[in-house]
Amino acid sequence: MTKKYLVGVFDDEHTLVEAFEKVLDKGVKVEEVYTPYPIHEVLHRMKKKTRITHAAFFYGLFAAIGLLGFMYYAAVIDWPLNFGGKPFNTFPSFIVVSIVATILSITLLTLFTFSARAKVFPGKKADIIDIRATDDKFIIVLDKDELGTETNTVTELFKTNGASEVYEKESK
Amino acid sequence: MYKTEIRGKLISGDKSLGQISQDILRPIDAKTPRWWYAAMTMSLALFGWGLYCKYITVSQGIGTWGVNNTVAWGWEIVNFVWWIGIGHAGTAFSIFLLILRQKWRTAINRAAEAMTVVAVLCASLFPLLHMGRPWLFFFIFPYPNTRGPLWVNFNSPLFWDFVAISAYMLISASFWYFGMVPDFATIRDTTKSKIKKAIYGFFAFGWVGSSKEWLRYEGLSFVLGGIAAVLVVSVHSIVSTDFAVSVEPGWHTTIFPPYFVVGAIFSGFAMVLTLVTLMRKLYKMEDFITDSHVDAVCRILVFISLIMGTAYITEIFMAWYSGSEYEMYTFFKNRITGEYALQFWGMFTFNAIIPQLFWFKKVRSKLWVVFIISLLINWGMWFERFNIVVTSLSRDYLPANWAEYHPTWVEIGFFTGTIGMFAAGVLLFFRYIPMIAISEIKSVSKYDKPMPEPKIEHHD
Repeated sequence: MTKKYLVGVFDDEHTLVEAFEKVLDKGVKVEEVYTPYPIHEVLHRMKKKTRITHAAFFYGLFAAIGLLGFMYYAAVIDWPLNFGGKPFNTFPSFIVVSIVATILSITLLTLFTFSARAKVFPGKKADIIDIRATDDKFIIVLDKDELGTETNTVTELFKTNGASEVYEKESK
Repeated sequence: MYKTEIRGKLISGDKSLGQISQDILRPIDAKTPRWWYAAMTMSLALFGWGLYCKYITVSQGIGTWGVNNTVAWGWEIVNFVWWIGIGHAGTAFSIFLLILRQKWRTAINRAAEAMTVVAVLCASLFPLLHMGRPWLFFFIFPYPNTRGPLWVNFNSPLFWDFVAISAYMLISASFWYFGMVPDFATIRDTTKSKIKKAIYGFFAFGWVGSSKEWLRYEGLSFVLGGIAAVLVVSVHSIVSTDFAVSVEPGWHTTIFPPYFVVGAIFSGFAMVLTLVTLMRKLYKMEDFITDSHVDAVCRILVFISLIMGTAYITEIFMAWYSGSEYEMYTFFKNRITGEYALQFWGMFTFNAIIPQLFWFKKVRSKLWVVFIISLLINWGMWFERFNIVVTSLSRDYLPANWAEYHPTWVEIGFFTGTIGMFAAGVLLFFRYIPMIAISEIKSVSKYDKPMPEPKIEHHD
């Protein structure tokens, strides 16, 4: 099903942020914002949260426990080897491998999480609203059906706040 | 807040965002320059020669090398540590400068990370072939095997090293790659060539720059940045334990982990400097890699050089202070005045003395002088590893075991082969990948422009 969008194009960060905040203050829901680089004001006010850092913490916790457990199993339970009378459970020297392999696990698992949650993965076709958003334009996209009668006032608001273009577009 | 008046502009030439994309992507769209083909041919020739030497090593064995029972670790470990050290700069650059909020890193971190990935690949070849039977390298994985199962020794620094290097390689490669995804999207959306659109479009993974993507991207960078900082310190500390846990005089010192980490960052930054000076000259990137960028790297180098000098002197002092005659012999007789004294003094001069020239602004501002000094530092760091590995082994406790070590042509070819591999990798990077992180550069470009006045509402 295609949806109708109202697209506001801005030339720089400041005008985008200003217009974006004004639109939000009017109580209009912003569908999405496309920018060439991350803008913290936008990320903050889009009211979306990422729990990727929490996920990373738990990956690390479980990886560390798993690794230490595995080394204990291998060196103490499964096949204890006597290295010059040292204890089988040489915990302090297990820490080294645990740290590095935990970091590796966190990295790979967090990457996969990012890929799955942000939907950035090999073979994905880009749903481009405005092709200039990865180059030099800052784009606000609003759902036109949800806007309803507000369309004209928002268009006006975009234009008075420095939008270089405002247009409508149908897309998935 | 970045103070442009004090630190100089991050990007000169007052560029718009569109111009930034164009300028950085120009080498990818332009015709391949002639020098590139010449350089690539030379690199591939060296690489091919290295392949032949590797073939000799694998088919005939380690006996084709100059290593012997006494000096069992020769150029291979020297080169391994050298390459790993160089490979440290990418992550150090991105992470430490990210933590310290140094905005100028944005122009250089991509090149540093690319260099890291290639250098670590070069490094990993040495221990792999030193195994003698490299086709059985998977024995070092702790997997349930049919030999017992006999597990690996988790107390061995050699195993730690294997874990650290493979983790470092995977992590730095993925860190580098995910930094490039938004830039690949920029190429996809700006290029006119259909082939490039398809290829870079595939590698862009469907990136569009939406706030959903950026939000998680920031989260990801935060996580990777935080944990990779630990990795930078831990990997080379682990490499140093290969030496430090042994009982060889000259190796068995507690200073080794920090000494190795600092040395690694030193050589890595020097190699970064070599590359960015080349990049700036060959691809005319003066607007992005400005004089103040080169200046900043030089200033870091002079600081690290002081640490290196302190470490060298500390080692010598500790040898005397310990009262151990073996330590005394190793440092005062074997290293400073022995048959490998050239390498010791080369190390000391190139790493601790020559970089002191960077105190002078005149030296820092002359690009060719900076380039030469950066090469000398790389050379000096190679001497350092040679000095550590070979002098300690060649003369240890038992004079009856003393031996000399001279590399054979196979070892030398192996090493030059990795230099060819590194050069070829860097050339491919220059040619096909945006050599400066476009989206990051754009995000800092606003610091060069006057900020709009904050709006204050007046009530009369």
